[in-house]
Amino acid sequence: MPTSLRTVVWSTAIFLLVGLLALVGIVGATLWLGERAQAYSSVAAEARLTRSAAIEFRNALQGAESGQRGYVIARNEIYLAPYATAKTQAARQFSLLEGRLADQPEARVPLERLAAIVDEKFAEMDRIIALERAGQHAEALLIFNSNRGKALMDEANVFVSGLVRRIEDQLATGIAEQQANAGLLRLVSAAGAFVIIAVVGGAGYMLSRYAAEARQARDEVRALNAGLERRVEERTADLVVERDKAEILLSEVNHRLANSLALVASLVSMQAKSLEDPAAKAALGEAHDRILAISLVHRRLYGSRDVRAVTLDEYLAALLEQLKASLHGDGQASIKHSLDPVTLPTDTAINLGVVVTEWVTNAFKYAYPNGSGEVRVRLARLPEGRVELAVEDDGVGHPEGEAVKGTGLGTRIVRAMAASMRADVEYSARHPGFSARYVFTPAAG
Amino acid sequence: MALRLIVAVVVSVGLSGAPALAQQGPAGITTPSVLAPFDPQAAACSAPSGLGKSLLFAMDNDRDFITGAGAGLMAAAKDRGLSYAAVNAQSDAARQAEQIRAAITAKSGAVVTAPVDALALAPILQEVIWSGAYVGTIVPPPAITILNAPQYLTGRTLAEDAARHIREKFGGKADVVLLTHDSLQFLAPRFAAMRDVLSEMPEVTIVADISPATVDEAGGYHAMQTVLEAFPNVDVVLGADTVVLGALRALREAGRDRPDQYLGGIDGEPQAVTEILGGTGPYKASIALSSPIFGYALGQYAADWLEGRSVPQAMDVLPFALTKDNIAQYRADQNDPGAVFADPVRRDAYLRMYGNICADSRDQYLNFPWSSEAG
Repeated sequence: MPTSLRTVVWSTAIFLLVGLLALVGIVGATLWLGERAQAYSSVAAEARLTRSAAIEFRNALQGAESGQRGYVIARNEIYLAPYATAKTQAARQFSLLEGRLADQPEARVPLERLAAIVDEKFAEMDRIIALERAGQHAEALLIFNSNRGKALMDEANVFVSGLVRRIEDQLATGIAEQQANAGLLRLVSAAGAFVIIAVVGGAGYMLSRYAAEARQARDEVRALNAGLERRVEERTADLVVERDKAEILLSEVNHRLANSLALVASLVSMQAKSLEDPAAKAALGEAHDRILAISLVHRRLYGSRDVRAVTLDEYLAALLEQLKASLHGDGQASIKHSLDPVTLPTDTAINLGVVVTEWVTNAFKYAYPNGSGEVRVRLARLPEGRVELAVEDDGVGHPEGEAVKGTGLGTRIVRAMAASMRADVEYSARHPGFSARYVFTPAAG
Repeated sequence: MALRLIVAVVVSVGLSGAPALAQQGPAGITTPSVLAPFDPQAAACSAPSGLGKSLLFAMDNDRDFITGAGAGLMAAAKDRGLSYAAVNAQSDAARQAEQIRAAITAKSGAVVTAPVDALALAPILQEVIWSGAYVGTIVPPPAITILNAPQYLTGRTLAEDAARHIREKFGGKADVVLLTHDSLQFLAPRFAAMRDVLSEMPEVTIVADISPATVDEAGGYHAMQTVLEAFPNVDVVLGADTVVLGALRALREAGRDRPDQYLGGIDGEPQAVTEILGGTGPYKASIALSSPIFGYALGQYAADWLEGRSVPQAMDVLPFALTKDNIAQYRADQNDPGAVFADPVRRDAYLRMYGNICADSRDQYLNFPWSSEAG
């Protein structure tokens, strides 16, 4: 099952918590054991002092006995020199011992027995010394040989040894506890370290697993993207091919349409030439020009990569050249043009080509009945995005109220075009001449 | 028991050094010397003449130890065709002296005695020797054959058995109580031996080395009570059987007795043997000196003497550690000392003989407190 980010976050949090608890455990155990060690240190120091007092007491007792015996054997006072000091020291150390063991009930009886023994021992030694000083050596020796002094000393040794053993047992117990605590600390530290290592390992494992899965997912996405891009490229290439085919087909269609329209225009022209009626000939001539105008658009589209738009200035220039050749027999007018660069949708261009054809043909036919003149065609951009197409001449003009010459078809065509393009058509007389304006707003796109 | 005999010897010899009677014969060997091991194949000599084939046992009293010796003597006399008589001085030295003088008068061939007063009895015993009769003593000189109880070996035997127990049951670590016997100085080697053995065990601690005020059950009881006030837990108690039995009572009253404890005594006291035979208590061993066996040996050597054979000048009665495993065999040996004496291996387990002497060389009798452990 894939590892989710939520799982990684939770598991990492749990690992951190466990690691923290392990750390707290280690620190807690260390502090506790430190406290125990400190407490033991104090107890041990006290115990050592107590043991020292017990041993010093025994040493003093033995010192006193040694002095007393030396005096009895040698009858020399010098052996008694340390006796008084040892006796005082024994009393002092015993007092210390009593004070230090006052809080240990189990030591009460041994201390009481020891006190009695010491009292009797010193009394016996004092008595023997006194007898010796009194010159009663035999009496002193009699007491000495009773072995009571030795027995008292042996008993005192038993009790002092017992006290020392008790203290040493306490120390040994403390040491054992310290050793056990040290072992416990090692165990806790090792366990804590193990837990922390396990936690770090677990967290690392989760992260590495997550990272590995993330890398795998990224690689899979990359592979999918690469496949998709490859498919897009393939589809794009297919589309390009299809587009090229379509463009070729469209171009071919435009070419054939242009040729067909040119053929139709030629047929119309041939038909016109075969007619006798001037009106019919003129009508067919106009039809011929209109068809050529449309044909010319398709011819331009044939060479263009964009069939949706036509550069109107270029188209009109070509159209006017063609009209000039076509209308050469209808008058001596010349055509001049001023064309701003304007690109329009193909349908609009066809409409405007038909309009220009109508108006230039009319100017050639009617503006200069008696001579030559100039027909001017102007394509200009106006403010606010509007475009003006104007055809002017300096001819005889068109008197107001006079019936339209010809069939009137051209006027209807222009009106229909203007209506479809929501253009304003304006005819005005010039003196001399006539002006027709076609103002429109190009459709967006 | 045997201790009282030894006490008399040491006190008398220690204070006088040598008998202070008019010299009527050789003084014997008065300077302490070391004896060679007894040679049973030593050449024979002339048999004493003019003496009856009789054996007198002059007892100081009738305690078990002495009556046991008497049983052995009687068995030997019977086996060797000697007439046997035993007299009890009831701890009266003068009476004992009279009893032995009567034996001289009766030309008794052999006298064995446990002196009440060794010092007082010594010149009389010399008279017996000078008469050509055999004299055996338990333990003081003068004598043709001196019976000795090796105190150091006795203490060592007990301590080594305790050490074995300490190693086996306590892993070599134990708290030991020695209940000594300060009033009898000659017993000091026993306790010196115990200290020597235990000192070889570094984890053994002698927590108390004291002498009970009286060397009896009550003395041991009170001494142990004192020790328990200082050391509530002890593992081993060693001493004479009587005091160790008292210590056992103190342990039991304090609830401090344990089956794994080792209590061991010396003397083979019947109550100690009973405790040992119980098998589950702390009492584990008692060191005994087999008086019937040494009595039998003295009787045999008395008969040999009267036949002109060489006999030992001294004899150790070896300590025997009684445990519940060997008490039956020990009792069987006690009841049939002749069989033990006839078996060299079993005899050597109980007795060790030193020196050679026969009737012709009786001027070389021992007249000093001999001990195999001296020097």
